[in-house]
Amino acid sequence: MNTTPGAPADGAKTPYFGRGIRRQEDRRLLLGRGRYVADIKLPGQAEMAVVRSPFAHARIRAIRVRSARAHPGVYCVITGRDIAETLKPLPALDLQPSAKPAFSRVLAGDVVRYVGEAIAAVVAVDRYTAEDAAELVEVDYEPLPALLSLEAALAPGAIHLYPDFGTNVVQTFAQEAGDVDQALATADRVYREKFSIHRYTGIPMETRGVLADADPNTGTVTLWTSTQFPHRVRDCVTEVLGWPAGRLRVIAPDVGGGFGVKEAIYGEEVLAPLLATRLGRPVRWIEDRAEHFVASCHGREQDHEVVAAVRHDGVITALESVCATNIGAAFATFSNAPGYYVSAMIRGPYRIPHYRSKVLSVVTNKTPLNVYRGAGHPQAVFCMERLLDRIADDLGLDRAEIRLRNMLTPAELPADRAVTLGARPNSRVIYDSGDYPRCLRQAVALLDYPHFRREQLAARNAGRYLGIGLSFYVEATAFGPYEFSELWVDARGAITLFTGSSPHGQGTATTHAQLVADELGVKVDAITVVHGDTGVVKEGIGTWGSRSGAVGGTAARLAAVKLKEAARDLARRLLPARDEELEWTEGRIHLRSDSQRGYSLAELAAASAGGGRADAPSPGLLKAEVRFQVPGVAYAYAAHIAIVEVEIATGRVLVRRYGVAHDCGRVINPRIVGGQIVGGVAQGIGGTILEELRYDADGRMLTRGLMDYLMPSAADIPPIELVHLETPTPHNPYGIKGAGEGGMTGAPGALVGAIEDALKPFGVRINDDGPFTPSRVLALVGKAARPQRAPKASA
Amino acid sequence: MSQRHSLILEVNGQMRNALVAPRLLLCDFLREDLELTGTHVGCQVGACGACTVLLDGKPVRSCLLFALQAEGRAIRTVEALGTEQALHPVQEAFEEQHGLQCGFCTPGILITVAHFLESHPEPTDEEIMAVLAGHLCRCTGYRNILAAVRAAATQIARDKAAASPRPPG
Repeated sequence: MNTTPGAPADGAKTPYFGRGIRRQEDRRLLLGRGRYVADIKLPGQAEMAVVRSPFAHARIRAIRVRSARAHPGVYCVITGRDIAETLKPLPALDLQPSAKPAFSRVLAGDVVRYVGEAIAAVVAVDRYTAEDAAELVEVDYEPLPALLSLEAALAPGAIHLYPDFGTNVVQTFAQEAGDVDQALATADRVYREKFSIHRYTGIPMETRGVLADADPNTGTVTLWTSTQFPHRVRDCVTEVLGWPAGRLRVIAPDVGGGFGVKEAIYGEEVLAPLLATRLGRPVRWIEDRAEHFVASCHGREQDHEVVAAVRHDGVITALESVCATNIGAAFATFSNAPGYYVSAMIRGPYRIPHYRSKVLSVVTNKTPLNVYRGAGHPQAVFCMERLLDRIADDLGLDRAEIRLRNMLTPAELPADRAVTLGARPNSRVIYDSGDYPRCLRQAVALLDYPHFRREQLAARNAGRYLGIGLSFYVEATAFGPYEFSELWVDARGAITLFTGSSPHGQGTATTHAQLVADELGVKVDAITVVHGDTGVVKEGIGTWGSRSGAVGGTAARLAAVKLKEAARDLARRLLPARDEELEWTEGRIHLRSDSQRGYSLAELAAASAGGGRADAPSPGLLKAEVRFQVPGVAYAYAAHIAIVEVEIATGRVLVRRYGVAHDCGRVINPRIVGGQIVGGVAQGIGGTILEELRYDADGRMLTRGLMDYLMPSAADIPPIELVHLETPTPHNPYGIKGAGEGGMTGAPGALVGAIEDALKPFGVRINDDGPFTPSRVLALVGKAARPQRAPKASA
Repeated sequence: MSQRHSLILEVNGQMRNALVAPRLLLCDFLREDLELTGTHVGCQVGACGACTVLLDGKPVRSCLLFALQAEGRAIRTVEALGTEQALHPVQEAFEEQHGLQCGFCTPGILITVAHFLESHPEPTDEEIMAVLAGHLCRCTGYRNILAAVRAAATQIARDKAAASPRPPG
């Protein structure tokens, strides 16, 4: 086996591994030939619209659908009552056995628990007609009091969203390492802090959408859906419907961004196959943006309490962390995951030998919460880094210095953190590899930290407020359990890779082709990558958790390794030759002694049809498939450093400079990795300075469109300076760690640190992650602190 | 269902004839009736710019216009910007600079930028930022889009210089 990390396959001249080559995906996207769900049109296709609750919490007394059904052009109208008996609730995939059954329903039953909850579905000749008819559905509501904040939901005497549970806490998970009580009892100092994390989310530019088409011959249904994990959708949707898994084929065509929002199973993915089957015509639903804000999962919202035992020199000896996640009205597919990541990862790169954690999932009358890029890491990093800043300021220590004093050194790795990642089996957290202090020093050097302090002083004297912030994260990436790939070479030499990775902008076809091309010694353009279709890719886990480059990519290359073994076996018999007499050169296997005597992969594929082995896997086709089981999670890490300017007069926060020193192991394609990091930082800037999903006191969402929910535009993102460190992980033969989420993960901690640093002259302390909009900043600084205006000349 | 009206317009150089409902949006007409699905719809309120097309040579949000408002006028969409064999220089630059990831916002940005560079052959970064401010992209963080616009401007200038006759002497 040729598995040297990043090395060329036997004989290939230049490896693709490590090169920022152009993407295979771009041409069709640039020409307007992408194929997203909304672009697909089938004969007889009907459109669905969904009737949604305008109340955060209400009992449904009655639903009248007669006039909607009678509306011209309407094919059918269904309500929760029509399907309550036949459909199971939507699954939640990360539950502890003791979790309460706060499951989402495809359509609401007698009670709605958030604005946007689906109540009925209308299918009509087109979307315009379906929406007209949806307005004719009459619902009698009896409004109930709404619970919105964690504080309200956890208060003694609070109403319970699910009265049977007797609590709004629907899951608890706890773990402990070392002896926290002893460390706290003997600490030089004890710090107690509360932190809060606001609600914001991924907002992919393409909303969700589904299209289902039933085959009248077989009864099988094809479902196109904008998802990150089509195989998971197949398994879950058939489970909810009570169908055999083989009845549904799920296709994720081009997907216009995901960020965790599309790493969930949604009711519309169940309704479309059900109604397409009933009506005998294709049914499409394309979410509009106003729906997206209430009907697609939100992210982040948590309250934290931490208690830290600290020595006089700034070393933290123990940490106790309690974290409550506001999961909204019911479990989404991965509502508990953010809490699990907090519990496993809040200590980041810092030793902190004694540790205790408790994480709660709490229901409220908001849209269900799922993972958003980084899952729980950004929240955990925010809390840890704020705590370090607080201790550093208190002890008069430099912010970089306190981090170095607590940081694990390379000699301490691998480091068993004596905790696990939530409910996952075999998920003990063991940091695998890296050099954290070097990474931090590189980030500090990137923006010339000491020089900045002088600049900051000069600026302050001139009435300008600059600040610098640092954050450091260690992030669990490259999750298993496995990824699948299958590789074909046919008799014309065509090479096709089928992968269980299911991308939505990551350039996965390109990176996977780079890996296969290196192994086979062929040109990267010779490889066609097929993904996102359960009909042709036998198995798959999908794209989330910074896993596809590392796990899917490894599976792809290992399939090429395996295919070469089969080819070698065949060549040995055909020539005949002994194994040690053979070698590979540019996709061809030949005698070491005589390069003329040998076969191309195409010739071997052709030979496998006739004169080859009787047990050849397929006539005229060389095939290999691999299920690469991940032996352990790979821990990527980075240091982020941000310089901001806060305009005291206007309250605007401007990010002036931003640096990232990061290590995601071996880099397959630096351009793609750079794009992931910069895009992630931009989302972090958005979440920290602009974005918030806001509700009024009655639980109605105030941000229901891109006019109200401000995403960053080009002018909000400064140049982002990158340094790549490359420490291979031992968990795959090519040393690749995940890179998809880190840009986001480090940003809130660094940015809020910088904002607080800028506002130091005002004595501002910040224990939340924003967003730091102008009104918020002005409130922080206070009126008195605003510069005096020169008196106007009297008119 | 509402009365349909006759609509005649030019789309990507071809005369098109259709009967459309008065409330049909231009973006839906292009995507559903003409099957030009390169124009994407991201927000329905003119905020994201994904649905941008040229109407008589000027960028417009096709989600904010009724199809009938394009009566007698000329539309150009991303499908007419370049071809597989000959990408438009802006398309070329986006590919070269990794200016797209999921590609959903890209067609609208390409339309706007191609139009912008015709009137601003040597744009400053501030001018580029100002024109990009009308578009949202969630994947790239914009920095590579900025680089692509700069690169496209340079390439267009180079192409022009190569095409124009040499000055005498």
